[in-house]
Amino acid sequence: MSSCIERPRTTCSLGGALSTISALPGVIPISHTTSGCAGNLSGTTAFNSGYCGSNYCSGQSVPVSNFNESNVVFGGAGRLREELISTFELIDGKLYIVLTGCMSEIIADDVQGVVSEFQNEGKPLIYVNTPSFEGDAFEGYELVLDKIINDQLPVSSRKDKSIINVFGIVPQFDPFFRGDLGEIKRILERLGLRVNTLFTNDQTYKNLTDVPKAGLNILLSPVYGVDLLKKFEKRHGTPFITEDLPVGAIQTEAFIRHVAKALDIDSATVNRVIKEEKRDYYAYLERAADLISDSEFKYYADVVGNATGTLSYARFLRDELGFVVENSVITDFLPKKKEKILKGYLEGKDIPGNLSFETDTYQVTKLLKNAMGQPNGDFYIDLHTPRFVFGSTFEKDYAVKNALPYLAISYPVYDRTILSKGYAGFRGGLQLMEDILCVLVAGR
Amino acid sequence: MKNYDQNEPLVRDIRLSAADSFYGKGCDLLKCAEGGCLCNKNRSFWQANSCQLSLSLMMASTIENAAIIIHSPVGCGVNMSTLYSNVTGGRNKRGLGQNNLVWLSTNMQKVDIINGGEKKLRELIRYTDREYRPELIFVVAACAPSIIGDDVDDIVNSEKENIAADLAAIHCPGFKSRVVASAYDSFYHALIRHLKFEPEPYIDYNPDNYANPYNGDQTALYRYNKARTVNLFNATSMNPDDENEIVRLLQALDLNVQIYTEYSSRDKLRFISEASLNISMCDVHDDYILKYLEEKYGIPYVIQGMPLGKKAIREWLLKIAGFFGKEKDAEKICDYEEKRLDEALKPFLKTIRGKRVIMGGGVVRIAEEARMLKELGMDIITIRPYHYDNEAGGVYSEVAEEFPDTPVAVSTQVFELINQLKKYKPDIVVEHAGKHGWISKCGIPSVNLFSQARPFFGYAGEYAFIKNLAFHLQNNSYAKNLSKNVRLPYHKNWYEKDPYSYIKD
Repeated sequence: MSSCIERPRTTCSLGGALSTISALPGVIPISHTTSGCAGNLSGTTAFNSGYCGSNYCSGQSVPVSNFNESNVVFGGAGRLREELISTFELIDGKLYIVLTGCMSEIIADDVQGVVSEFQNEGKPLIYVNTPSFEGDAFEGYELVLDKIINDQLPVSSRKDKSIINVFGIVPQFDPFFRGDLGEIKRILERLGLRVNTLFTNDQTYKNLTDVPKAGLNILLSPVYGVDLLKKFEKRHGTPFITEDLPVGAIQTEAFIRHVAKALDIDSATVNRVIKEEKRDYYAYLERAADLISDSEFKYYADVVGNATGTLSYARFLRDELGFVVENSVITDFLPKKKEKILKGYLEGKDIPGNLSFETDTYQVTKLLKNAMGQPNGDFYIDLHTPRFVFGSTFEKDYAVKNALPYLAISYPVYDRTILSKGYAGFRGGLQLMEDILCVLVAGR
Repeated sequence: MKNYDQNEPLVRDIRLSAADSFYGKGCDLLKCAEGGCLCNKNRSFWQANSCQLSLSLMMASTIENAAIIIHSPVGCGVNMSTLYSNVTGGRNKRGLGQNNLVWLSTNMQKVDIINGGEKKLRELIRYTDREYRPELIFVVAACAPSIIGDDVDDIVNSEKENIAADLAAIHCPGFKSRVVASAYDSFYHALIRHLKFEPEPYIDYNPDNYANPYNGDQTALYRYNKARTVNLFNATSMNPDDENEIVRLLQALDLNVQIYTEYSSRDKLRFISEASLNISMCDVHDDYILKYLEEKYGIPYVIQGMPLGKKAIREWLLKIAGFFGKEKDAEKICDYEEKRLDEALKPFLKTIRGKRVIMGGGVVRIAEEARMLKELGMDIITIRPYHYDNEAGGVYSEVAEEFPDTPVAVSTQVFELINQLKKYKPDIVVEHAGKHGWISKCGIPSVNLFSQARPFFGYAGEYAFIKNLAFHLQNNSYAKNLSKNVRLPYHKNWYEKDPYSYIKD
């Protein structure tokens, strides 16, 4: 119904911008909003992403202009100016970014004017319009990176084909962002590439400024970052390829071959890396087979999550564990343009189970219930069980009520903690398998 | 009655005098508040905190079988997931069964900001009623609809007849108030304006039955029961263990206890007028609704600090006992309880005595806890209430007396706290949830001033608090190690400056 959402799995663009900036080394956000916007958003997204938590200058440390009623009436430019002066006195950063919210956008505060005063003094300050009523958290991710990369960073005349940027994974809203990007980086490095992930713990501010030097951008989402990388290509001349988030051995092998092809990496290296990785991977699976096969760990599966990961998880379950995937539910709230991009991308793609687009948790639950069926009093009834639910913690109620095994894999995740873990790549595939098996043997 | 008839409640900044910035000595705060200089204080640097919307949601989310509609862009109410899991925990501990709470966002888009979001809100109210069949729908109005002038109250009033559920509007735009505590008033205002506080004929009693207590043979018994029934207000900072402890003390005075308004239902709320005394657990929580109940139903109320620490518990219990002529019983109970508590606390005293503490959090609680810890021989080096309003005056006159020279700062701000921690290196910190990660990053152990984990009120609470404090004074390796390996965002020279140098007049 219109754009209303029950139990949103996203926030306004300000929320996504704050999450993104928190993961960028050396970048300081200044929220030109009420005190509550920044506090609630960054506090809760940190909670909802497997207790990712706050770091350097995020969470309750984010500088805010503390917009109040008199600012709504008379404008908040003065307050913002004062806040910025204090921020430069107090906070040590490489780049400072002013973000806006509903109130500063509705009253059309002159943020640009204030920011340019500081820029004239040579301060590393920019601003990004993140009106809460235009675009959601994933949009916030793109807005921030677009401003930095496509507006601020100078064009690099020399491209280095061995430098790769990875985009499309949104900090916190993809709760495994650190582990996933870390594994992607590890794999690409094995191919002799240097990788800017921007968001893993090894990254420094220099990785961000080096982004224009890259020879290729890899986009790991079918929808988030498409506009960003099109503009990137136009401004910096770096092409991009869109890849599904690779989960497990089969998908990661395909991923490596695609990247190698795009970069003309010699096939000997590629084959060697794949062979070594697979040997390691299947040695684990070889032993796990006793448990999996003896216990008949085969399930009908529902996968609920965002456009970036859902289908990859579903394919992994289907292709590597032999699960029968019945529902792939994509929960994103997509504006028309993005919906078109996503649907265009998915056309002709391999889709496990029935693909649905649904933002409301209650409606998602209905989809899952219908696929499982329910007892109707007949002696013989083909209930689609045993069944495993993969979703966000919002799906937990349904799983618990129906005594189904369940694992949180998509935002919001608040019934488990996620530190270095990821589900992408070879190691991620093993970790996902391990977590699934953990759920199934936990009651023993 | 004027205030209560308004569509929107006045925020505390206007209704009371409220402040979020101050630094001085224990004896100065009250003076500054009474002299009026407190309201003009501000900061030239602010960090993120919370807003009245998030606290309003905290209270609304506990109401049974409710649906919450957040009328705003999609970011507001993001903390509902946290609240949902808290409420599930709270319900489990109270034996209340499944949590049926749902929440929805009108997810205002640009077009709604330009054309108004009223139609969308109306549709969502009807949809929510139809699809989820809640008993009660809260419509929570955030900043955006308030700025563009959506008439939420009119929609709520006119939609009441179109839907099966009860409907209430909570007005809590964050920009309107500098103090989060305004949310208590916003929430209570919604209950007062939109819900019933009296038993209904044919639902709660049968007026045709001669045994009807309101008008029949049972009237004398009814009056007797009502005369010894009290309402306990548990707004946001009372966990199930606290409720048990307080009910235990009040039952010892032979009183019946009804607990409101958290974890109440629409049906339970109708009995809120069926008591002879209303008891608040905190000076800054409930005055709005208690004054209303006094005006409307003639029920007197007790607002007497928080029962934290022997001294305050005695003051609190005596005040209540006074209404029923049971002071002697109360004295006896306190004597007995204090004696056995003192005995139980003995083993912990040598661990905590003389330890230096920085304390921050809710304005009344933190003062009461400081009094409690001081009495047990701890050295309080700063008290940091999160806000101040005149309702806290009673407790802070005690603070002025007991801590005349102790620094007091009205502050929620992390940068000020970190500066103090680095400068004064306290042995332990008592703080609100949300701060402990930062405190650990400074290498200092800390405990919650309140949590869901154990009792805080009453004698059981004091025992649990001290036991926990002593426990956290053992083995600080985690924080120490963390602090050595984590960088904080402040320039070095910040630590050379006065922690409160960004407060201005």
